[in-house]
Formats: sequence, structure tokens, C-alpha cells
Amino acid sequence: MRAYLWFELRRLARDPRLALFSVLGPVVTYLIFSGLAGGGDQLEGVDAAAALMVGLAGYGAVAGVLSVGSLVSQERAVGWLSQLRVTPLPPWQAVAAKALVSTLSGVPSVIAVGITGRLQHHVELSAGRWIALLLLMWAGTVPFALLGLAIGYGLAPQLAQPVNFLAFLGLSVLGGLLVPVTYFPDALRHLGHALPTYRYAELGWRSVAGLAPTPSGLGVLAVWTVLFATLAAWAYRRSTAHR
Amino acid sequence: MDDIVVRLTGLTRRFGSVRAVNGLDLAIARGTTLALLGPNGAGKTTAISMMLGLTQPDAGTVTLFGRTPTEAVRAGRVGAMLQDSGVVPTATVREVVELARALYPRPLATDRILAMAGLADRAGRRLDKLSGGEAQRARFAFALSGAPDLMVLDEPTAAMDVAARQAFWAAIHRYAAEGRTVVFTTHQLPEADEFADRVVVLAAGRVVADGPPAQIRALAGGRTVTFDAAGARLEGLELLPGVRSVQVRGDRVVLTTDDADATVLALAAGHGFRNLEVSAGLETAFLTLTAAGTEH
Repeated sequence: MRAYLWFELRRLARDPRLALFSVLGPVVTYLIFSGLAGGGDQLEGVDAAAALMVGLAGYGAVAGVLSVGSLVSQERAVGWLSQLRVTPLPPWQAVAAKALVSTLSGVPSVIAVGITGRLQHHVELSAGRWIALLLLMWAGTVPFALLGLAIGYGLAPQLAQPVNFLAFLGLSVLGGLLVPVTYFPDALRHLGHALPTYRYAELGWRSVAGLAPTPSGLGVLAVWTVLFATLAAWAYRRSTAHR
Repeated sequence: MDDIVVRLTGLTRRFGSVRAVNGLDLAIARGTTLALLGPNGAGKTTAISMMLGLTQPDAGTVTLFGRTPTEAVRAGRVGAMLQDSGVVPTATVREVVELARALYPRPLATDRILAMAGLADRAGRRLDKLSGGEAQRARFAFALSGAPDLMVLDEPTAAMDVAARQAFWAAIHRYAAEGRTVVFTTHQLPEADEFADRVVVLAAGRVVADGPPAQIRALAGGRTVTFDAAGARLEGLELLPGVRSVQVRGDRVVLTTDDADATVLALAAGHGFRNLEVSAGLETAFLTLTAAGTEH
């Protein structure tokens, strides 16, 4: 399984889309948005520059994580996944490696936007808190990795890509990763609070503020994780039973 | 028993009302290079898919090396090239080969794999930068990396030109020469004739002929004479002029003959028949049997 993991990571690192959408995109967006926020403003309980940093790091991470789902769809269509199934690699390991690679593809965004926040806006955190933030922002991508796999195993490539993009756009905008939900009308804000993207970023905001995650936030994330896992398992079984 | 690598027993798979594979029985001995020959839709790919454990049969069993396909695959005894199965384009030939080597318990050396597949000078190249024939050989390299005892190839040369085809078969031969078992599918008789030492002809999911290439070639070039088995006198049929083989399939007797006229005249004189049909060559046999098969 380690060999397959390395194989996948090397391919991922070589994919220009990852650098473009989940590193360059969020960094540039962060620079623009954070420039608009006034110094000393508070958002989500922390300094605006730090709040936007977390939001856009999460935005890029979700983009990276979900995009792996589209790739799964293509690999399935060209028969690569069937090819792997006639090697000694157990299918569950192939899926687990894919899920892990998927979550890891969110990490470059968190690092890149974090560095930008530190350099551009002097977001000051202790080393331990930076590490905690990175780990939380990594672990929090699990539900999105599962959603990506559900899309990748469930849909044909020509459908997977647009569905992926719509899921990403809807979740990240409504979840307040780009524009904080504070600026939303009431109904939309309540919706935002129920989304995994908001609760994902909340992990980061509270971590920056030195607070533990809220039980309700973890609860919402857990519910979405179970839902997406069920969906992914169903899509996977369907994709292998079909041939 | 020990020498039977693949054993299919009563293997059946339906898609809706169509029986893609219909009661397939087949035992393949170690060291055989076997061609599964048949027209498109004969059930070759479905049979291969069940043989590898990718598709579950509706009825019947598959054993590879006396175990289930999944167990044999997990144990690293099987390598396969599936039909239309691409390899991930962003990887290089070497990366794909190294991956396969890591997945199998007793892999071949990388240089040997590349040489066998004729890709020694393409190791660093990305798969999407290869020609069609080279890409196919890269997939072959992936399949052979683990030195599997059984190699299964589904329409391996479908996308190749003549030169690529020759190079590819040369590679297969180097591999099979080491006492390994190779099963490949094709819809081209010359390919089966040239490269296999046993040819199994499949039509409408059933075996319609099984023998060494020479016998299948004769079947293809000659005629088949079929008539109802009911009421026919079967003994002595193989002695009739021109007759090469006698088989009873369902309720029909099938004679293959080099001289259909002489066979039919002798039949009329000595044996009698009902619902006699004479058909030419393998292609006709394919069509007849395919049509008969789908009526069920």
C-alpha cells in the first residue's frame, strides 16, 4: 500500500491543477480580500486578517481535496482502477490510499495561505498553534475527501467534473469560506452554520483564538462525515458490481 | 489436477435476458498459450472478467491454481491486461513498472521487464506521450512485472498496427517460453492460429470448437455439416469421406469436413439425416451459432 501511496503522491505533486487551484488561487484571493478588511476588525471571534486566512486556506484545501474525486472518475473510466483490482493490492487499501492522498491534497493550500498571512499581515501565532492549526485543517478535510470519492466512484467523468465544481462552489461560498457568514442575511447564515465547510473553518478560527472545537461544530461535521461516507461506500460498491 | 491452472465449470452470466456466457466449461493446463477466439459479443470479455474475479458469475465456478480468483490474484499469481484499460497518463513507464513490482511478492528486475516489453528506451517517458503500440506494451509491462504464473490478455493487440503487433507477440513469446500460462482473447483467426497452441472458439457464450490451431484452421477453411441427432446413426460418422471431426452439440450433430459434397452423399447413402445444413468456414459457424444462441 505504501508503494501505491507514493505513486499517487508523486502524480499529485506533478499535477499543475493542484498548484493553480489550491495554492495560487487562494493565496491571490486572500491578498485581495484581506486588503479590503480594515485593520483591527474582528470576524468569527478573531482578527479579520487571521479569519480570512483560515477561510481561504480552507477554501483552497476543499478545492484540492474535491478535485481528487474527479480524477478517480477518470481513472475508473479508463479502466485503471480495474487494472489495480487484478493486482495483489487489496481494494480497501486502494480506496484508503486514495482517501489519504485526497486529504493530503488540501495541505499545500493551508501552508501557502498560512505563510502569506504570516508575511503579509503578521498573523502571529506560537509554533505550537501553527502546527495545531495545520493538523486541524488537515483532519477536517475528511468529510470532503469522502464526498470527492463519492462523486468519483459514483459519476462518469463528464458529470463528475461539473458536479464537483458545483459542490465546491456551493459549499465554500455558503459555508462562508470566501465571505464570512456574518455578512449573510439571517436565513442564509443559518444554512451556512449547518454546512460542513463552515464547521471546518470554525475548527481553524477557534484554534487561532486558542479555543477548543465546539461540540455542536464537531457534531455537524460528524453527521456530514457519516453521510458522505455512506454515499462513498454505496458509490464504490455500485462501481465495482457493474462490470 | 496440479497441472490445471484455470478451471471453469458451468460458468454462466446473464445481462438482462442475454446470456453473455452460457455454461462455459474449460480446463487450461500449465504452460499453455490459449486463444479465446470469437466474434464481438461472443462473451470473451465477460468470461475473462469472471475468470479474474471482477465479475461474479450467475452460476458455475472459477478456480485459478485450485483457489478462488480473488485469492489467486491476492497471492500475486495472476497478471492481466484488460480491454480498453488505460494507465494513468501522468505517470512514467518506470513509475508504473515500479508500482507493479512493489505490489507483487516476487517481481522481475526492472531492466528485465523493460527489455521484455521492448520499452528499455522509453522508461522515463510519460504514458500519454507514448504511441498506441508502446502504451499497450507499457500495460503489458505492468502485467508482467510481478512474474505471474498466469497471464490474461483481453484483446491485447486491438489498437496496434502490424509492426507493433509483431513486437508485442515477440514479447509474449519470451514470457510464455518460461513455462508460464497465457490466455488471450482475439476476434482474429490468424492471430489465434499463429500465436496460440490451443484455440477455444466461443460463440454466443458457448464453446463451439476447441483444439490445436491446425484443427481450428481446418474448421475455418472447410465446411461444417450439421443435422438432427434424433434418429441419426452416430457410429462410423468419422469414417465418412472428408470428415475431420464429429461432435454432438445439444440436439445437433456437427461434422467438420474438407469435402462437404462427398460427406453429404455418403451420409445420404448410409446414414440418413434430418434438417441437414452445410455451412462454410468459421465466420459462418460464428454467425449461425450466434443467431441460434440469442434465440434462447
